[in-house]
Amino acid sequence: MRTRKWIKLSAIVLAIGLLASACSSDDGPDEDETATEGGTDTGQEGEASGDTLQTVTDRGTLVCGVNGAVPGFSFADEEGNITGFDADYCRAVAAAVLGDPDAVEFRQLTAEQRFTALQGGEIDVLIRNTTWTATRDGSEGATFATTTFYDGQGLMVKADSGVSELADLQGATVCVLSGTTTELNLTTLSEAEGLNLTPQTFEDNETLQSAFEQGQCQAWTSDKSQLAAVKSNFPEEQGGPDGLVILEDTISKEPLGPVTRDGDSQWSQIVDWVVIATIQAEEFGINQGNVEGFSSDSPDVQRFLGQSEGEAFDPGLGFPSTTWTTDVISAVGNYGEIYNRHVGPDTPLGLERGLNNLWTEGGLLYAPPYR
Amino acid sequence: MAASTTAGGPRPPLWRDVRVLRVVGQIAFAILTVAFLWWIWGNLTDNLQSRNLPTGFDYLSQPGGFIVQYSDVTSSTPIWKVILTGVKNTLLVSAVGIVLATVIGVLIGIGRLSNNWLVRKGSALYVEAVRNIPVLVWIIFFFSALLLPVLPVVEESVTGDLFVANNRAISVAGPTTPSGGAGTLWLLGLVAVLAGIAVAWWRTRRNVRTGQPHHRVIWGLLTAIVVFAIGFVVAGVDVGLDRPAREGFAVTGGFALSTPYLGVLIGLVVYTASHIAEIVRGSILAVPKGQQEAAQALALSGFQRMRYVILPQALRIMVPPTANQYLNLTKNSSLAIAVGYADVMQVVKTVIGNGRPAPQNIAIAMAVYLAFSLTISFFTNLYNRRIQYVGRS
Amino acid sequence: MADTTADRDMAAETAMPGPPDPPERPQVARLTPMEWVRENLFSTWYDTLMTVVFGAGLVFAIYRGLRFLFVTGRWEIIDRNMTNLMVWLWPNRPDLLRPWVALFLMVAAVGLLAGRAVRVAATVAEEAGEPIEELSWRENALRVLGRFWPFVMLLVFIGWYSGSPETWLMELLVVVDLLAFRALALRLPKAVADRTGLIAGLLFLAAFGTLTWFGGHGWDDWGGLMLTIFLAAGGIILSFPLGVGLALGRRSSFPIVRTICVTYIELIRGVPLITLLFMASIMLGFFLPSDFNSPAGVTRALVAIILFTAAYVAEIVRGGLQSVPQGQIEAAQAVGLSPLKQTRLIVLPQALRNVIPALVGQFISLLKDTSLVAIIGQFEILGVARRITNQGDFAGQGLLAETLFFAALVYWVLAYTMSRESQRLEKRLGVGER
Repeated sequence: MRTRKWIKLSAIVLAIGLLASACSSDDGPDEDETATEGGTDTGQEGEASGDTLQTVTDRGTLVCGVNGAVPGFSFADEEGNITGFDADYCRAVAAAVLGDPDAVEFRQLTAEQRFTALQGGEIDVLIRNTTWTATRDGSEGATFATTTFYDGQGLMVKADSGVSELADLQGATVCVLSGTTTELNLTTLSEAEGLNLTPQTFEDNETLQSAFEQGQCQAWTSDKSQLAAVKSNFPEEQGGPDGLVILEDTISKEPLGPVTRDGDSQWSQIVDWVVIATIQAEEFGINQGNVEGFSSDSPDVQRFLGQSEGEAFDPGLGFPSTTWTTDVISAVGNYGEIYNRHVGPDTPLGLERGLNNLWTEGGLLYAPPYR
Repeated sequence: MAASTTAGGPRPPLWRDVRVLRVVGQIAFAILTVAFLWWIWGNLTDNLQSRNLPTGFDYLSQPGGFIVQYSDVTSSTPIWKVILTGVKNTLLVSAVGIVLATVIGVLIGIGRLSNNWLVRKGSALYVEAVRNIPVLVWIIFFFSALLLPVLPVVEESVTGDLFVANNRAISVAGPTTPSGGAGTLWLLGLVAVLAGIAVAWWRTRRNVRTGQPHHRVIWGLLTAIVVFAIGFVVAGVDVGLDRPAREGFAVTGGFALSTPYLGVLIGLVVYTASHIAEIVRGSILAVPKGQQEAAQALALSGFQRMRYVILPQALRIMVPPTANQYLNLTKNSSLAIAVGYADVMQVVKTVIGNGRPAPQNIAIAMAVYLAFSLTISFFTNLYNRRIQYVGRS
Repeated sequence: MADTTADRDMAAETAMPGPPDPPERPQVARLTPMEWVRENLFSTWYDTLMTVVFGAGLVFAIYRGLRFLFVTGRWEIIDRNMTNLMVWLWPNRPDLLRPWVALFLMVAAVGLLAGRAVRVAATVAEEAGEPIEELSWRENALRVLGRFWPFVMLLVFIGWYSGSPETWLMELLVVVDLLAFRALALRLPKAVADRTGLIAGLLFLAAFGTLTWFGGHGWDDWGGLMLTIFLAAGGIILSFPLGVGLALGRRSSFPIVRTICVTYIELIRGVPLITLLFMASIMLGFFLPSDFNSPAGVTRALVAIILFTAAYVAEIVRGGLQSVPQGQIEAAQAVGLSPLKQTRLIVLPQALRNVIPALVGQFISLLKDTSLVAIIGQFEILGVARRITNQGDFAGQGLLAETLFFAALVYWVLAYTMSRESQRLEKRLGVGER
C-alpha cells in the first residue's frame, strides 16, 4: 500500500512539474528575461524587456503579432502558412536579424489583445494593420515604425443597391467592427452629415462579412485596403468583384505600420530601418532578382549594400550583420515587389499604388538616406 | 471537527492546542487572502496610472461616442446610460428567453413521455441533438445560417399593415402615446397587475378556507383588465398605433425585433429548452408510479392526470434544477456578443475598445450578471419554499 | 488521483440500453403492425393530430438535413481544411508526426481504461451473482456499433471528405490501436491491471509530452480540435485541486475560511464564463506587476477556465462530502485520527468516489464551454470553423453553415458519447448511488 501511494504521489508531482515546465518553455521571452538599462529607468510603461534583439537572437525565432484574418495582409491558408503583406514584413525583420526569413513564429491577435501582447513581451513586433495615432504612441506603450501602408477608411456597398455617394445611404445600416476607431468615425460621419445611419457592430470579420453578404447591412465600413480585399474575393454567384463598389469618400487617415515596445530604442530602430530598406531598395532599383552581386558606382548604393570605399559600412543601427539589407531584399524583395505580390494591381486585391508609391512617383514613400 | 483533547487533562502546549491553532490558522488564511488582494489591487492601480487610465468611475459620465442600434443612444449619451441600455437589452433577451424556454421545455419534456411513439421519439431526438452542441454554435447558426438568409433584405421587406419584416429586424406595430403620458400608463399597468395579484391571492385564501372553487386566474385577469380600463378612461391618455413603415433603407416606427436579438433569443431558447425538457422528464418519472395509477383509477383523462396529479408533484422536484437553467440562460445571454446584439457585455466591450479602462468596465459587467443571478436565485428560492410548504401542509 | 478514478470510471462492456425509455404500455399480446400503429400513433383524435403535426415537422427537418448533407452542402471547404480543423497552424505543419503519436498514445490510454472497466464490471457482476452474458462475435460487434455509432459516423465523415486513402488508413490504425490496448488490458496480470489507471495517466502525460517536450510546441501554439480537447481536459484536471480545496474550505468550521470560500464560489458561479475570459484576455496584464511578462493567449484562456471550473467542481465535491455519512467521521474520530487525517483518509476518498458522474457531467459541459474561447480570438475548433470561411477560395460563399455543421458534429459526438457512457457506467457500477 505504502509504495503504491508513493508512486501515486510522485507521479502527481512529476506531472505538475512537467506541466509547469511545458508551460514556460514555450514562451521564450519568459526565460530570457533580463532586466536592462533601457527598460528600467523609463520603466513605467510596463514594457517587459529592454533587449528584444538579444531575446530574439537567443531564441532563434522572431515572434510576430499579426491579424491573420485579412487576405492580402496576413491570412492563414490551408497548409497553415500565414502569407501576405504584413507577414512579409515579419519575414523581412527575421531575415535582417536572424538571416533566415522563415524563422518567424506568427501569433494571431485580436484588436484588443494586440497592445497587451506587445507590452507583455508575448510578441517581439506587432505588424497587424495598426493605425498610428497619438494616444497609442503615448499611452499604449507603443513605438511606431515607418508606415508601410497608407490607408483610409471607406465604405463599400453592393453595386446593385443604387448607392453611389454618401448621401444615398440615408437611413441605411452599416456593418462595422465594434470598439474600433472605425466605429467612432462612422458615428461622427453619420451625425455630421445627418445620414441617420444605424451601425450594426460585430466582434469579428467572419460574422460581419456574412451579415454584409446577406444584406443585413447595406454598407460595410473599414480600411479601404481591407474592403478591397473583400471585394476581390467576392463570389461570382453574387456578382463577383464587380458586384461591389467602394465609395470615393475617404473618412479618415489610417497610416498602418509595424509597432514595437516603448523603451527599447535599438529594436525600434531595427524594425524601422527594415521598412526603410525595402523602400530604399525600390528607389535604387534593387530587387529580389538582382540584389545578389548588385553593383553600382554610386556610393549611396554601395553603403546601402554594406560597402563603403571597399570596407564594410555599419551605421551602428545594431544589426548583427552589415549585409542585412541584402538578406532582406533577397528574402522578400523591395517594397514594390512586396506590394505587388500581395495587394498590387495583379493580385485579387487589385490595389493601385496611389499614396503607397515612391515620392518620385507621386506617392508618400520617402526613405531617409542610408549614410 | 471537534477538538481531540479531552477536557480536564493538562493543557497541551500552545502550538498543539486546537483552540489556539484554529484562531491562528484562520488569521493566517485571512492575512494571506488580504495580502494577495492587496498585491493585485496595488498592481492594478499602478498599471492604470502608468497607462494614463482613470482609476475611478468618473469616465462614466463622459459621452460614449458611439451609437447603439434600436435604442436612443447617440454619440453624446453618457457612458453610464449606454451601459444601462445594454443592461436593458440583456434583461429583454433573458426574460423573454426564460418564459419561452420554460414553455417549450415543459412541452418537450412531457412529449418525451407521451404515449404517441412519434412524439416520444421526436422529442428524444430533439433533446439529444440539441443539448450536446454548445449554445454558442446554436446562436451563430440561427443568426448567420438561418435568420439572415431566410429573411429578405431591407429593399425587399415583407410589408404588411402592422409589420415590416426584413433581415435587419422584424418591426411590428405597437401602442404609442403621441401626446405623452406613457409613464402614467406604465404606472396604471403596474397598479392593475398588483390588483389582479391581490384578488387572485384573496381567491386562493377563500378557497383554502371555504373549499369553494377559486377560479383565481380568471378573477385576477378580470380585475386587472377592469382596473386598467377604468384608470385608462379616467386618465384620458391619448393612445395611438405606431405602425412601422419603410422609406428607402430606413424602417421607422413600430417596435423592432432585430435579427441579432432574434438569433440570440432563439439560440438560447432552443438550447435551454432541451435541458429543461430533461429536468421535466426526470421529475415526472420521479413521481411515484402509484400516483399515476391512482389517477387512472379515478378515470381522469390524460390531461387531467398531468395537470392535477403528476405536474404539481413533479414541480417540487423540478424547481431547483430549473432555476439553475434560468441562471444559465441569463449568463449565456452574454454570448450575444458573437452576433452583435448590444447586450451589457457587448456594450462594455465596445466601451473598452474605445480606450476606457478595462478593469472598471469588466467589474461593472460582472456586477450586473451577479445582480441578475442573485435576483433569480432569490425569487426561485422564495417560490421553492412556497411550493414545498404547500406540499407538506 | 489518476488510478482511483480510472479504476471505476470507464464503461462496462455488456450492453444495456441507454437512459431509461419512458414506461411502455404493458403489451399483453403481440400486436400486428396495424394495431401497433393504431395504438402508438392514432389512439385518439388529438393523438392523430399530434402525429400528423409532429410527423410533418420531423419529415421536413430530416428532409432538409439530408438534402444539406448530400445535395446542397459544399463540403470542399471541410475537406481542404481538415488539418486546420484538427490542429490549426501546428507550427512546421508538414511534420504532423507529433500530433499523430500523441493521438495514438491517448487512444491507447482510453483503450486500456475501457478494458479495465470491462474487468471491473465483470467482477461487480460476479459479486452480485449476475450471470455473465455470452455473446457471439456478431452480437458483440452490433452492440458496440449501437453504442459508438456517433464515433463511427464521425470517422466515416472525416474519411469520406478528406478523400485520401491515408486518412482511412490512419483512422483504421486508431481503431486497431484502441482495440489492441483494450484487449491487452483484459489480459494483464492482476498486479499490473490494478495499476491501469496509473499507466493510462502516464500515457496521457506522454501524449502531452510528445507534443511539448524536446523541441515540440507548447499549448500556446495549439489550435483546432486538439486545443478544444486540451482546454477541456486540462481545465478539469488543473481545476480539481483548487476545487477540492474550496469545497473543504466551504465545509470548514473556520468562519473566516468558510466566508472566503463561499464568496469565491458564489461570485464565480454568478458570472458568465465569458466575463472571466475577457478578464484574462485583456486584463491579466493589469493584475500583474508591470515588469512581469504576461502569458500568451491560450494560457490566459486556460487560467480563466480553471478559475471558473474550480467553483463548479467545488460545489460538486461539496455534494460528495455531504454524502459521506456522519458516522464515518465519528468513527474516524473514535479511532483517534487527526482532523487532517480524517479528511484525507476517510472523507475525501468516499466523497470523490461519489462525485465521479457529476464530474463527468462537468467535463462535458466544459467541453462545450471551450467554444467560448473563439470569442477571445483563440482558435479551437469553432474559431477555426469560422475563420476558414474567409479563406481566399471560400470567402463570401456563405459556407458558415457547412463549417459550423462540422464543428457541431464533433462537439455532439464527443458530448453525446461521453454522457451515454457515463450513464451506463453509473448504472453498471452503482457509482453515485446513495
